[in-house]
Amino acid sequence: MPAVCLYFEVHQPFRLNRFSVFSIGERINPAGTYFNHELNEKVFEKVARKCYLPTNQLLLDLIERFNGRLKVSFSITGTFMEYCDAHMPEVMESFRDLVKTGCVDLISETYYHSLASLFDDLTEFEEQVKLHRDTIMSRFGFTPTVFRNTEAIYDNRIAKKVEELGFKGIITEGTEKVLQWRSPNYLYKPVSSGNLKVLLRNYKLSDDVAFRFSSVEWSEFPLTADKFASWVAGSEGDVVNIFMDYETFGEHQWPETGIFEFLRHFPQEVVEKHGLEFVTVGEAVNRFNPVGEIDVPFAISWADTERDVSTWLGNDMQVACFNELKEIGRMVKEKDKPELLKLWRLLQTSDHLYYLSTKGLADGTVHKYFSPYEHPYEGFINYMNILQDLKQRVMSE
Amino acid sequence: MKIAMIGWEYPPFKVGGLGTHCYGLTKALADLDVKIDFFMPKFSSGKPEGSKNLNIKEVGITKVFPYDRPYEEALDDDFFESVYTYNRLCAEKINGCYELVHCHDWLTMQAGIAVKKKLGIPLVLTVHSTEYDRCGGIYPNEWFINIEKTGMENADRIIAVSNFTKRIIVEKYGIPEEKIRVVHNAVSPIGEGKKRKKVVLFLGRLTIQKGPEFFLRAAKRVLDKEDCLFVVAGSGDLLPRLVNLAVKLDIADKVMFTGPLTDEEVKHIYQISSVYVLPSVSEPFGITALEAVSAGTPTIISKTAGVSEVLKNSLVVDFWDVDEMANKIVALLRYKPLHKMLSENAKKEVTFFTWDRTAEKTLEVYNEVV
Repeated sequence: MPAVCLYFEVHQPFRLNRFSVFSIGERINPAGTYFNHELNEKVFEKVARKCYLPTNQLLLDLIERFNGRLKVSFSITGTFMEYCDAHMPEVMESFRDLVKTGCVDLISETYYHSLASLFDDLTEFEEQVKLHRDTIMSRFGFTPTVFRNTEAIYDNRIAKKVEELGFKGIITEGTEKVLQWRSPNYLYKPVSSGNLKVLLRNYKLSDDVAFRFSSVEWSEFPLTADKFASWVAGSEGDVVNIFMDYETFGEHQWPETGIFEFLRHFPQEVVEKHGLEFVTVGEAVNRFNPVGEIDVPFAISWADTERDVSTWLGNDMQVACFNELKEIGRMVKEKDKPELLKLWRLLQTSDHLYYLSTKGLADGTVHKYFSPYEHPYEGFINYMNILQDLKQRVMSE
Repeated sequence: MKIAMIGWEYPPFKVGGLGTHCYGLTKALADLDVKIDFFMPKFSSGKPEGSKNLNIKEVGITKVFPYDRPYEEALDDDFFESVYTYNRLCAEKINGCYELVHCHDWLTMQAGIAVKKKLGIPLVLTVHSTEYDRCGGIYPNEWFINIEKTGMENADRIIAVSNFTKRIIVEKYGIPEEKIRVVHNAVSPIGEGKKRKKVVLFLGRLTIQKGPEFFLRAAKRVLDKEDCLFVVAGSGDLLPRLVNLAVKLDIADKVMFTGPLTDEEVKHIYQISSVYVLPSVSEPFGITALEAVSAGTPTIISKTAGVSEVLKNSLVVDFWDVDEMANKIVALLRYKPLHKMLSENAKKEVTFFTWDRTAEKTLEVYNEVV
């Protein structure tokens, strides 16, 4: 029977202010004008009260109750930690309490939850990974051994770089594009790599909770802890990787859906009824051996149905902004101005490009749900105006 | 099914969107095998052509007038006399075996009610605009409102051209929602032409309702940043005021007033423009936005225009927010990927707005009452 690996992504972006073309070059304090602090604070506090604080408390209780047999892993982005510092230090404190139990693993990533891994030059990527690693060390006294790139973006090139940076494992999506007939419930190794191990998200079981949990049209509705645990126990393989946004608990799925009850009962079902074991991502990487290789020449991710990078770079507007970011980066790096570097990096957060996706126009409401803009076109104008302003600032330095 | 439809204008004689609408709708309904007798005023020369299932019937003689609220100076006895005469003649002359009577806006409502009563058949009323739209929020005229209200009350079903208009009918005229169906307008695509460099277009009657003043004020803001040409196409009672405003804002050399345009000229101007702006204060639908995008021209639409409900690939603004309007105009002029995506996506989207679809939905409404 497989082990169970629970991992949650914890992230909040710095959402942007409305920035008109007439503000470009006006030289108003950019940290104040680029980012909508009021909105960001409001969203953060709301999500903290609905999700972070209650879910952390619940997990802490459960870890105590099961005497260390429940284990979870988190990736906490740099921008998220900055929110905690600025608005609610108690949220950071509650994560620290969880880490102190010894049952919690922390995962490495780019500090700014950025797309730096898709730049042709990986220097910036490396710098952001190190920045995140240092921050996790100073906040938690913890050194992550497993890496998860922004939204699980992965290809051979990224895997190679991540191995160079000293990680033992990397997380990505268990998509058929890569696996074909093979199961995501085993570890793999990247083609032509040394010892890096790849953990693959079991997207079916993960999305049963993250997306389908409260969907009344779903034939398996309602999803109980009992039923879900039996699906997990019935899976073949070494480890079932159930990875999702942490905000699933209490935010994407509201408390009324019964999501907290589900989480409360799940460990009991897993450990006591089915006799399975929880593992952290670090333990999974240490314990299991790869059963095969995966070859990923083109980037995959866990986003949308395409499971590629089209969520961020799927249309001309997104590509234009991404190229502008790259261009500004080239200039920023030539100047020694930490405050401009910081602004450039905050603008790299992948959410800014995600909001410009036009896929939602045809199919999903998912993009719209997360977007602060009424429309991707609005998002583009706003983001591009800000990029133009930053570019002018950098050039005039 | 055989119906009587009472109109006011029909191509080649048209002064507003009502003629275009009636043309598109009647042709498509005829294709769905609805037999239509279309009644309209008789003009001094020529006669529009009918087709299979569609008979154009002229009633009496009248001059051509704007189909909605006339300009201040035209608000005289002549105009009302014409409307009155036309409605009376329709009421007299429409006889025979119809399953329902369908009329459009206040101009034809009284005839609609009379025919309904005389022949004992259901009345369907399409509301293209109301007095609250036309007055642009200033001094709505009770005389029109009363005609509209009576028409709406007597109609068995009301077709609103947008949810925006439906809300006005419910809120301002106190009509129960259950009686109202929303059927959005369609467009006959114009086709793409060769774009000129940086032309920003306003096209519509120059009345308070259409918001041309906001267009000029946004133009002033844009011209601080970009060199481009603003075109104000159309005529109307605000023309002298607008010309003065352009001079006052010191942008007269960058604003072109075209006066009234022929159909061919309208097509051409849509095609060469880089941005189309519909800044209406209150616009039941706004078919020009669909025409512009069908010519490959990205469009900025007022939030108080019905078309903004359905055209996803467009930019929307509050008509009064000239800074934001200017921001969006500049963005479209500067950022090519934005311009390209809006142009391409909107062009694709607009192919779904066909008169066949509008006719099918209209027929569903007919079937509810017969």
